[in-house]
Order: sequence, then C-alpha cells, then structure tokens
Amino acid sequence: MNGIGAVEMDEAIRLKHRVEQFLFLEARLLDANAWDEWLRLFTPTGMYWVPRMRGQQDARTQVSLFHEDALLRSVRARRLANHRNWSQQPPTHGARTIGNVSVTDPGPGTIVVRSSFQMLEWRADNPRAFGGSYTHTLREDPAAAGSFRIEMKRVDLVNCDAIHENLQVFL
Amino acid sequence: MLYTNEQLADMVKPDKVHRAVYVDPGIFDLEMERIYGRVWVYVGHESQIPQTGDYVTSRIGRQDVILVRAADGKPHVLYNRCPHKGAQIVPPGDGHVDRHFRCPYHAWTFRLHGPMLSAPLRAGYEGTAFDPADEAFWLRRVARVASYRGFVFASLSEGGDDLVDFLGGAKAAIDNLCDRSPVGEVEVAGGVFRVWQNSNWKIFYENLHDTMHAAVTHESSVVAARDEYEASMAGQDMPFVLHIMAGNGEPYQFWEKLAVHAFDHGHGYMEGIFDPGGTDRDPTSRAHHESLAAAVGEARAREILGMNLHNTIIYGSGSPHTVFQQFRVIRPVAVDRTMVEIITFRLKGAPEAVFERAVTYANTINSPSSNVMPDDVELYTRVQKGNRLDGGDWVSMHRYCGTDRDIPGGKVAVNGTSELPIRNQFAAWKALMTEGGTGCGEAA
Ligand code: FES
Ligand SMILES: [Fe+2]
Repeated sequence: MNGIGAVEMDEAIRLKHRVEQFLFLEARLLDANAWDEWLRLFTPTGMYWVPRMRGQQDARTQVSLFHEDALLRSVRARRLANHRNWSQQPPTHGARTIGNVSVTDPGPGTIVVRSSFQMLEWRADNPRAFGGSYTHTLREDPAAAGSFRIEMKRVDLVNCDAIHENLQVFL
Repeated sequence: MLYTNEQLADMVKPDKVHRAVYVDPGIFDLEMERIYGRVWVYVGHESQIPQTGDYVTSRIGRQDVILVRAADGKPHVLYNRCPHKGAQIVPPGDGHVDRHFRCPYHAWTFRLHGPMLSAPLRAGYEGTAFDPADEAFWLRRVARVASYRGFVFASLSEGGDDLVDFLGGAKAAIDNLCDRSPVGEVEVAGGVFRVWQNSNWKIFYENLHDTMHAAVTHESSVVAARDEYEASMAGQDMPFVLHIMAGNGEPYQFWEKLAVHAFDHGHGYMEGIFDPGGTDRDPTSRAHHESLAAAVGEARAREILGMNLHNTIIYGSGSPHTVFQQFRVIRPVAVDRTMVEIITFRLKGAPEAVFERAVTYANTINSPSSNVMPDDVELYTRVQKGNRLDGGDWVSMHRYCGTDRDIPGGKVAVNGTSELPIRNQFAAWKALMTEGGTGCGEAA
C-alpha cells in the first residue's frame, strides 16, 4: 500500500468514514425534502452549482442549471414551501444513492470529496432518473465536532446538456 | 381528421377559439405544412458560424436543416439529407467541415452550399441518369434564406413577403437588441438551455403577453423573493435576482397601464416590466450607458436604452428579449410537445458585466431549473390536459375584444391586460391555415 503506515491508514479510514457519514446525512435530508435543514449544512459563503456544460469552468459567463448562493438557495426553499407552488403539486420525491467516495485533496481545514450519485425522482406519475458526480469542498464545522460544512457542492449530471423538463429541487 | 378550410375558419371567432386547435394532431400536421411551411423561421445567428465550413443544425417545422457558412461567405440553409439514400449528413449540434460535406454512408461529397462534387467509383454510374449537375443529386437548399443584422431566418416556401416586411413592427426588437452594443452587433454566447414542455406550441406564444397570469401563476416565487428580502435585507436596495422575481407580483393596475402592440403576421411586443433606464443607481446599467454614449452619443444612447421591450413575439420563431439579451426559440415537436431553446447574446463592445447580468437573468427566470418558468410550464400542461376534455369547446379571448386600435402595420391595445396579442396570433393562424394568406387579415 505505497508504504503507508498503520497510523496514517487509521487516519484515512476515520476521515473517509466521517466524510461518508456527512454525505449520507446530506442525502437523507434531501430525500426527506428537508430543505431548511439542508441549507444549514452550508457555510455562509457556500455555493451550490449544477453546470449546464460538461467540464464547465465558469458560471458567470456561461449558463448553469443551478448556480446558487445562500440567498438563492433560501429563495428556492421558500418557494418550494409556499402553498401556491403550482408546479410542486404534487411535490417531487427523490431517493439518492451515493458511492465511490474518495477524498481527493486533504488539506488543512478543507477537503475535496468526490462521489458518484444516482437519484430516482418521482412527481405526478412521472419517474425520472438522474446520475453523475458530486464534488464537495468541505470545511470542518467548528460548531459540530467531527462534522463538516459545505463550501461548494458541484453536481455534474451525466445528462447536463440534455433537453430537460422542469428541474425544481436540489439534486 | 381532415378539415375543410371552412371548418378551420370556424374554429377561430373574433373572441374565442375552438379547443381542437391545441389538442388535435391533425391540426398540428396542417400547421406544420401551412404555417411552418410558409413563414420565415429563425434558424440561427451568424456568430455561430464565423468561418467558412462552420455549421450548426436547426429545425424549421418538421424539417431538420443545416445552417452553414459557405465559400461565398454567406449563410446557407440546407436540408440535412443526403440525396443518395437519405442519410443525415451531419449529426445534431455544431461543427466544422473542410471545404465540402461528405456523407458518412457512401462518401458522396457536396459543396458547402449544396451542389454535388463527386461520388466514389464514378464508372458505376455510366449510362445511368445519375448527373452531378442535376439538382436532384444536390443537398437541397431551403427555398429562401435571409439574414437581418446577423439573425438568419429561412422559409420553406418560395412565395410570400420578404423577411423585413414579414418582421414588420417586430423588427424594432432585433434592431434594439443590436443597437445596445456600442458597435451595433451581438454574438451568441454562454451556452443554451433546452427545455421540454408537454403542451402545444401556441400556448407559449399566448403566454408571452398574458399579463393577467403573472401575479397568479408566479405567486410562490414572488412571495419567496419578497419574504427573503424582508428577512435578510430590508431597507437596502433589492438585489437584481430578487427584483426580477418579484417583478411578476406587480398589482393589476400596473399591468393595465403597459403598452401592448400587436403586428401583422402574429408578432408583437409589450412594454418592459423592469425599467432599464431607471437603474441609474445600478453600476452595470451605468457602465453600459457610458460605453454606449461614448460610441453613439448621449442622446442616441438614451433613446436606445430607454426603449423598453419585454418578450417580443416573432410568431413561428420565438421571443427575443432585448434588455436581457435573450432569444427563446420555440420549436413545435408534436401537438402536445414543444422544445424551447433559451439563447443568450453578448453585446459586442459592452462591459462584460452586462453579459453576466444576461446569464444571471437566464438562470434565474427562464432556465428549466429557475424558480419562475416551472410554474408557467405546469400551467401550460394543465391547459393542454383540460382542453382534451369535453368540458366545453371554446377558449375565451374576450378581454377588451372590440376595442383594439389600428396603427400602421398592426394594432395597439387600449389596456395592458387586453387579450389583443392572442386575437392577433389567431388572425395570423387563420389566414395561414385557410388560404395561404399572409396573416394580415382580421379574424372574422
Ligand atoms: S446515403 Fe449519402 S452517400 Fe449514400
Ligand atoms: Fe409566466
């Protein structure tokens, strides 16, 4: 194993376990449409980004499916909760599965985590499937020892450039 | 089902329209022939094909076409079909070919504007009627192509008005979009959203100037934007992203005062709901104004930026939006399925922040994942579903019917909540569907 020592191995396993627990918690909140709790997983400057282009580098001069700061995420959550949100009657329900989790860039205080996800979605008798990769930039959460907050969540859909129907909930 | 012209004409009254026009596949077939087979349809922008050999695929009604820059330096529009066995010459999307098209099936080659160049093993055609000089062996060109300030339109029919006459009053929107650039030119940039809507194409056109729906359909996003503002930044300037969402929530009196113009051929525009000249406090608008004034003078800059159009309609093509540099192209696919392409433009020579604002507007208001469009799309779907029912045969367009005032080349509404735009679209629809007219006629 590349000469990695037992202590370092222990560390790596513990980190991966903590990261996975965080990603699974996030997926559970999204599956439960618990948007407000999900919002609290972000740092105040955290961004949520779903590029429209494969390998997209820039969200300012290229359109994105979602490119949302705290303000826009909060507005979306408010709209989803409004009782006159016609296009969410009935609401969207989803089930997310996360795998292939790897911590690609451990650094002081911040780590980058790549994972694969698949999501089954259901609304108004229409099932849809989404999939792709998540790239999370996480910071240690000072308020919750051993947990994280999201500085950036990037969702690269395999069909980012498809002809889409409405996309309303966070992926 | 097949319809006589009388039956089709009977479906459009001055103040109501039969629900069959939205849900009958037979009528959709006729529309593809009689409307999309005749009018000028936007196929793409010249900035998408800067070099000889650059192409981008597009669609006119049911016809897949190729917009290509040929050796003469001009845009050409060809059917995407090989005259040998019919294979599509290029896949969907954009690309570049060297000097000629080469069919991927048996390697027949064609010049960029369509004529045949060669086929392998020519000896096999000796003594046959095969003749590369015969247009039957060319990539067929669509009947007419014309470009207006970089916007390329094509028509499948030889006859009819030329492009500028067809655009009529709606031409002002293309002019204003281009004039907003200090060098008078725009280019496609930033990527395209493509969206499915499970509803008839005409419903989207009708909604573009339907001011009565804004506050009702979009209540959830209006309330969310207002509540967010109150909760986190009351007293400050409302940020752009909230401002454009909250705009739909103006009271009825606001919409009643908006100017609504309807032009021949089903086109039209309405006055903008965001005042771009009233944003002197906004640094992006100020920088834009300064760059334009430096190029064309202060008075002309004021005139250009003061022209405030919202959702122009070019019937059969889609909806340009001048202030936020956008074109929503509307492509009918089936009687209950419509594809909308949301394209953003960069104003050449203007500050980059102006383009970034256009990207933000597209993301926030028009994208499939915005907080606004999904509610429109949901209502279009409900219109589609409801009109399949026997719950009544007529769709009302009575609002302010009989009060529309004539202007040169069209009409103007006496009230911003008038259903004039819908009556005007059906006047064009009826003329095209019943006798190959130009759509100038009054619905009788
Ligand atoms: S189909 Fe094009 S060369 Fe045969
Ligand atoms: Fe709307």
